Amino acid sequence: MAQPLVKKDDDRDDEVDYSPFLGIEKGAVLQEARVFNDPQLDPRRCSQVITKLLYLLNQGETFTKVEATEVFFAVTKLFQSRDMGLRRMVYVIIKELSPSADEVIIVTSSLMKDMTSKTDMYRANAIRVLCRITDGTLLTQIERYLKQAIVDKNPVVASAALVSGIHLLQTNPEIVKRWSNEVQEAVQSRAALVQFHALALLHQIRQNDRLAVNKLVSSLTRGSVRSPLAQCLLIRYTSQVIRESTNDTQTGDRPFYDFLEGCLRHKAEMVIFEAARAITELNGVTSRELTPAITVLQLFLSSSKPVLRFAAVRTLNKVAMSHPTAVTNCNIDMESLISDQNRSIATLAITTLLKTGNESSVDRLMKQITNFMSDIADEFKIVVVDAIRSLCLKFPLKHRSLMNFLSNILREEGGFEYKKAIVDSIVILIRDIPEAKESGLLHLCEFIEDCEFTYLSTQILHFLGIEGPKTSDPSKYIRYIYNRVHLENATVRAGAVSTLAKFGAMVDGLKPRIFVLLRRCLFDNDDEVRDRATLYLNTLGGDGAVVETDEGVKEFLFGSLDVPLVNLENSLKNYAFDINSVPKDVKTQPLAEKKATSKKPTGLGAPPPGPPSTVDAYEKLLSSIPEFASFGKLFKSSAPVELTEAETEYAVNVVKHIFDGHVVFQYNCRNTIPEQLLENVTVIVDASEAEEFAEVDSKPLRQLPYDSPGQTFVAFEKPEGVSAVGKFSNMLRFIVKEVDPSTGEAEDDGVEDEYQLEDLELVAADYMLKVGVSNFRNAWESMGVDFEHVDEYGLGPRDSLAEAVNAVINLLGMQPCEGTEVIPPNSRSHTCLLSGVYIGNVKVLVRLQFGLDGPKDVAMKLAVRSEDGTVSDAIHEIVASG
Amino acid sequence: MILAVLFANSEGNILVERFNGVPAEERLHWRSFLVKLGADNLKGVKNEELLVASHRSVYIVYTVLGDVSVYVVGKDEYDELALAEVIFVITSAVKDVCGKLPTERLFLDKYGRICLTLDEIIWKETVTFCVIANEHPFAFSSMDTAANVLPHPFS
Repeated sequence: MAQPLVKKDDDRDDEVDYSPFLGIEKGAVLQEARVFNDPQLDPRRCSQVITKLLYLLNQGETFTKVEATEVFFAVTKLFQSRDMGLRRMVYVIIKELSPSADEVIIVTSSLMKDMTSKTDMYRANAIRVLCRITDGTLLTQIERYLKQAIVDKNPVVASAALVSGIHLLQTNPEIVKRWSNEVQEAVQSRAALVQFHALALLHQIRQNDRLAVNKLVSSLTRGSVRSPLAQCLLIRYTSQVIRESTNDTQTGDRPFYDFLEGCLRHKAEMVIFEAARAITELNGVTSRELTPAITVLQLFLSSSKPVLRFAAVRTLNKVAMSHPTAVTNCNIDMESLISDQNRSIATLAITTLLKTGNESSVDRLMKQITNFMSDIADEFKIVVVDAIRSLCLKFPLKHRSLMNFLSNILREEGGFEYKKAIVDSIVILIRDIPEAKESGLLHLCEFIEDCEFTYLSTQILHFLGIEGPKTSDPSKYIRYIYNRVHLENATVRAGAVSTLAKFGAMVDGLKPRIFVLLRRCLFDNDDEVRDRATLYLNTLGGDGAVVETDEGVKEFLFGSLDVPLVNLENSLKNYAFDINSVPKDVKTQPLAEKKATSKKPTGLGAPPPGPPSTVDAYEKLLSSIPEFASFGKLFKSSAPVELTEAETEYAVNVVKHIFDGHVVFQYNCRNTIPEQLLENVTVIVDASEAEEFAEVDSKPLRQLPYDSPGQTFVAFEKPEGVSAVGKFSNMLRFIVKEVDPSTGEAEDDGVEDEYQLEDLELVAADYMLKVGVSNFRNAWESMGVDFEHVDEYGLGPRDSLAEAVNAVINLLGMQPCEGTEVIPPNSRSHTCLLSGVYIGNVKVLVRLQFGLDGPKDVAMKLAVRSEDGTVSDAIHEIVASG
Repeated sequence: MILAVLFANSEGNILVERFNGVPAEERLHWRSFLVKLGADNLKGVKNEELLVASHRSVYIVYTVLGDVSVYVVGKDEYDELALAEVIFVITSAVKDVCGKLPTERLFLDKYGRICLTLDEIIWKETVTFCVIANEHPFAFSSMDTAANVLPHPFS
């Protein structure tokens, strides 16, 4: 139980209206609970004690295991009482105490008795308690009663059983699915409540059977649903069916559209909204289909109830994103909502208007928004800023007034996220609207004069360094930049030094003055600032004369870092300071990791001394074998996979080399028995569980002496460019010869022998190269939506969100970007960004959004963008089959 | 899912709270957020007039009932409309238990029954069904329309 914000007990000064729980203490209440054991039960007194226990629990008090057990056993005595009020309190407290499995037994028989009681109230509540505390074995015992309860004539009992079914479906689906007939009967119940619950359960039972759902929707849309809530569910199921079916191509009619349209005239508001939302969310909805829905939503805009106004404006806001013209008719009603007392409604109205407004209405709108901005929270302001940015991109001619608006709000008070949203918007406008550049840069310069956020200051300085030198008068920005060197912290000062250097490099006329400023920075008290100043003074060269800057220097200052950060970090750790020695390819990484994790590498032929040369070494090794020379360029080499246990006679691991149309397994072998010499060592591979692979070559190892590594290879052909997967079983076959330990000489005759190795799997991740990107967002946006494929998956119950995230990363074998593989503790949702190159040299970017659905169930949304649609689909297939 | 149901007195002290699926460390944030929301907006509001707010992807419907303010927080399929139905059931039930609009004292006097009723309205994160805690358990005529909204099956 949570700690309350303020305990009610703290109000002691109000003597007249004092709390009945004034001075309540856990110890005293637990003492009072002994009254449950009295032979002559006083129901009123017992109810009061249970109330006090509930109050304590609600106020954040916790019971120790012993206390909870004692109370629980005492409570079970209360089943003797026939008082109905007390019995209901008993049901509640049992649920609150959440008894353990071994304690549950004591109340099971009482609850089962109540389940078949003549009192409806007992039956309903006993079902709820039993289903809350029960496990699978008990459920089979009570299943018969639950099935009866579903068709009970009392709607509350039937609903209790149905809702129990919905909860139990998560834990014991196979049992609940057996209730299908009873649930179907309940769908026809006259009680609206029962019909609603039954429909929900029936759909959950059948949700994986598309035909059954279709049939259910077809029969119910003919008009046997009474409950508005059930009607809402039916609308949702209908939308699902519509999504999965195709239009009638001859008439262009959409199946079930008439049903949805009919629901717009339903007497319950929630049904009208549900239908309107369903229509607006139809795929490829036409304006003819949209119009009736928009009309009813428009009517709700002037409703006296805030909830209905909110619902209407929220729906219209969504529609405006895809069909702005359809919402234009509502603009007059929407404008009156800007002054709505409810800020959520006002914000939604404004953002909708910003999406639907035309060029002539921009100025009027901006005036209205200015008054509105001062009294809303940052969260709403960010939404407005985003909308203004989109509006400005839509009407570039209006950039002056919109940019002024942004700069004005930038000067006002606000938190980091809000300020960041404004700065980001200004930066985007500068990039996309050339006329807005100079004024936008000046606004940013003014902002950094009084900016409390280091991150924003450095970002703006970096941006100024790129855009400022290209303006007509770059010198006017220097003052703002150099002020930072005097007034700010070391991080910002270092950023300012870099920006100054960029101006010096790009604007030859400014170079002498920049040199003066940079020289002053040589005396800064921070070493990074001093180092940067020294570096730039030396790289810019020319001793401050007006000379053209060398192209190489410009590339150094403005060029992007074309090596993955992880490689750079590795190289720095190895004291490899020459940037040219840092590998640009990430495929060395798995090996580097392997090397770091295993203390005694058994990959004998494999691990070369340093990460940069590993792949080269593999490439060299394979190209030196004539049989493999025709396979083309090596796409990827995996990390060594151990095929034997540690400390065995023969240690074997395998490296999987992937080519476009071939796969080569490199078996690294080591003989650990001094008295043996192995000859003619081969690996016999059974590829019967890898249908798409055909063995084309095998290269045996002639000799494998004691403790001296050697390799044998087996090559397979596979369909070109396809990520074929499969399982390979391996048998090491060799001729073993005895060696005389004193002379070291082997006997002439040997014996043929075999040694079973572990199976090897070729998985989809083997066809993926881990290649990172430095700026995921840019890469994502530049990839475009042409070959985007988005879908959602349920990953089922997981130990933690982190476990689910790692499982998917490993499954895909891609490079996590921007540190998104790290999940903050206790998060309930997480976004992970991955990048890689798929076989065929296709760049792939993946955005994974995870969320906890319920206590343990993890749901995932997978968005893939790549240069090839089939690859995007393949990634989804990997996840779907993984 | 329904994330929280919360009752507070006019000074912002919590009387009853039920959180579902909200981590313990986030609850304090929600309490302060809701109480502040009420303090900012509930002044002068008529009894049972529903107000609405959204905070990120979460919806809040709240109202005042005598001396007590009631907040219901939900997300996904429990949007503003569904929550409006939920809060209607809750306020009707509380009025029924108290016999009139509750004063704080009356609310605390009927604390046990209110907990009972709340338990019977909301089961974990799902609204289950409404049985009012008077002697006629099925007396609440509008319960069939006001009761349950279940998780969106394809959300």
